[in-house]
Amino acid sequence: MTAPRGALRLIDVRKSYRVGPVTTEVLRGVDLEIGAGDLVSIMGPSGSGKTTLMNIVGLLDRPSTGRHVLDGRDVSGLGDDALSRLRNAHVGFVFQAFHLLPRLTAAENVCVPLVYRGTGRRKALGRARAILERVGMGDRLEHRPDQLSGGQKQRVAIARALVGLPALLLADEPTGALDADTADETMGLLLELNAEQGVTVLIITHDPAVARCCTRRMRIDGGQLHEEDSRPPGSAGSTAPRRA
Amino acid sequence: MPGILPILGANARQAVDSLARARLRTALGLVGIMIGISSVIAMVSLGEIAKEQARRQFEALGTDVLLVRTLTTMAGSQAISLADAIGLAEAVPAVAEAAPRILGHGEFRHAGRKVGQGRVQGVTAAFASINRMSLQAGRFVSLLDADRHFCVVGAAVADAMRQGGARRIVGETLEVGDILFTVVGVLDPRPENYALPVQVEADQSVFVPIGAAGRVADNPAIELAVARSSAGVDYRAAVADIRSWFRGRSPDLQLDIITAKELIAQMEAQMQTFALLLGSVGSISLVVGGIGIMNIMLVSVAERRREIAIRRALGARRRDIQSQFLIESVILTLAGGLLGILLGLAATWAICRFTGWEFLISGMSVASGLGTAAAAGLFFGFQPARQAARLDPIAGLQAE
Ligand SMILES: Nc1ncnc2c1ncn2[C@@H]1O[C@H](COP(=O)(O)OP(=O)(O)OP(=O)(O)O)[C@@H](O)[C@H]1O
Ligand SMILES: [Mg+2]
Repeated sequence: MTAPRGALRLIDVRKSYRVGPVTTEVLRGVDLEIGAGDLVSIMGPSGSGKTTLMNIVGLLDRPSTGRHVLDGRDVSGLGDDALSRLRNAHVGFVFQAFHLLPRLTAAENVCVPLVYRGTGRRKALGRARAILERVGMGDRLEHRPDQLSGGQKQRVAIARALVGLPALLLADEPTGALDADTADETMGLLLELNAEQGVTVLIITHDPAVARCCTRRMRIDGGQLHEEDSRPPGSAGSTAPRRA
Repeated sequence: MPGILPILGANARQAVDSLARARLRTALGLVGIMIGISSVIAMVSLGEIAKEQARRQFEALGTDVLLVRTLTTMAGSQAISLADAIGLAEAVPAVAEAAPRILGHGEFRHAGRKVGQGRVQGVTAAFASINRMSLQAGRFVSLLDADRHFCVVGAAVADAMRQGGARRIVGETLEVGDILFTVVGVLDPRPENYALPVQVEADQSVFVPIGAAGRVADNPAIELAVARSSAGVDYRAAVADIRSWFRGRSPDLQLDIITAKELIAQMEAQMQTFALLLGSVGSISLVVGGIGIMNIMLVSVAERRREIAIRRALGARRRDIQSQFLIESVILTLAGGLLGILLGLAATWAICRFTGWEFLISGMSVASGLGTAAAAGLFFGFQPARQAARLDPIAGLQAE
């Protein structure tokens, strides 16, 4: 594949919900252009539509109107199966609440995206082991989520998001449930992976310190997205708040 | 298309795990399926067993055997005359062989020692051939023996005589009641087949010439005549011919003619009664159990909304989720089905004891039990699985 992976555009995306007779427009014409390998933060008050936006970017939800272009391909009109396939191949999610499957071990959790693309169990477990080692969880392969700390769970979740080599990593308040030190470590890991694997990363956060680590910072308010001051990409790695 | 097998394999593992966790609910759901499947098993097994039973009957006796009895043989009522019973085969072309029997009962003594107790059967040579009796020594009795005191002993009686020291049984003297008989033949052991129209009980019996039976039987009337219809003759035609011949001979005779075909039909009717009973019990409990399974699955789907949403976010298509839950319900019903097979075989065994049929395990019944279980899993799991597949992943991710 020669086209850069992980580039995306939203063009005049609107999303409204109707609850009873009241229609609320959460996103009111969002335009967004992200290049392959970008590291983007989105901040905004609670209820401003950050998660809604992320779900649309991650192909879990569809905009009410507007276009969604992924690596040059308009995906707005795709059906549910095609979106699922694309999500599996293209997108990795990291959630604030980790969202690991409680009955599966760390390694099995990481295997799930591979299973849905038809990878055999043995091969999938091999890949899972490799990526869990990469995120520093190589000695917790057989642990179940309730046997892991919050930071460890989030590492497993990051491994699961990345095991399928997605172009786009979407993290919704990934450090929101972690203490300050663990949050720093987790952010450091995300920054490393962004630099190392060239995966486009979009982080939703309430924490200005997290936002400062990113090369592009955006703010959502009143249903619209604005870019704040941009720094040239490349200066990001040096500012990773890693405390040894 | 990437392989579907890894997905199915992962789903199956997942299913076993989640079912093991909901033990009580699972156990309750299993019971209904178990009873349902056991009825299916018993129903199919009994059908097979009855068929096998009929086949053996064909083999042992053929379907050409007829049993001719007078309706009452008590004093004052008409009996078949010996001459008529013997003349039947010659006079009626539809009858190939005919063998009358006079039945008595007595104690057998040899050298002053009791060697048995059982039937004393006054017969002709045709009786042995129609009933497929074979000799280990000597000869059978025949009409030529007239009223002479010769006898043929059954295998068990012969064994008892040997235990008392008799070397060659043939030639020994046997006391039947208080009459002395000379043994002229010894029968091979002959297992009784209770499905056959004639109960012979050969092993415990002593057979004497029909002309001598009057000396030892309380009621010297001919109790029955066993006949074999000629090759190629429809049994209904043979029955009609026999009736019309006897009507010509003794018009007052009330005849009861039983054919092997009728006995098979009777057995099939009995089998169908069981099948109907089992079929209705089976389908009711399958429906009840199936609704239980459906309920288990609906609860499971509701409890696992978040899991479903996470899987969807990771790239599961609706059909992946649907097959996960379908596999789960099929595993559930198959587990119930396996228990049901055991229960069904036990029930079949019990029914066989009750009817005297020979128990056998039919592969067909096991296969149809498993098939029904799997089908019930698919049928009753369909709605819950569809519901799971249609859940909104976004709502599921927000659910805490
Ligand atoms: N399914 C829905 N039906 C109706 N309204 C919805 C639905 N989902 C979200 N909303 C509304 O859309 C708005 C944006 O929600 P969203 O979850 O995107 O906010 P957020 O920016 O992620 O907030 P937070 O920072 O608290 O996570 C909220 O006002 C919410 O009430
Ligand atoms: Mg949110």
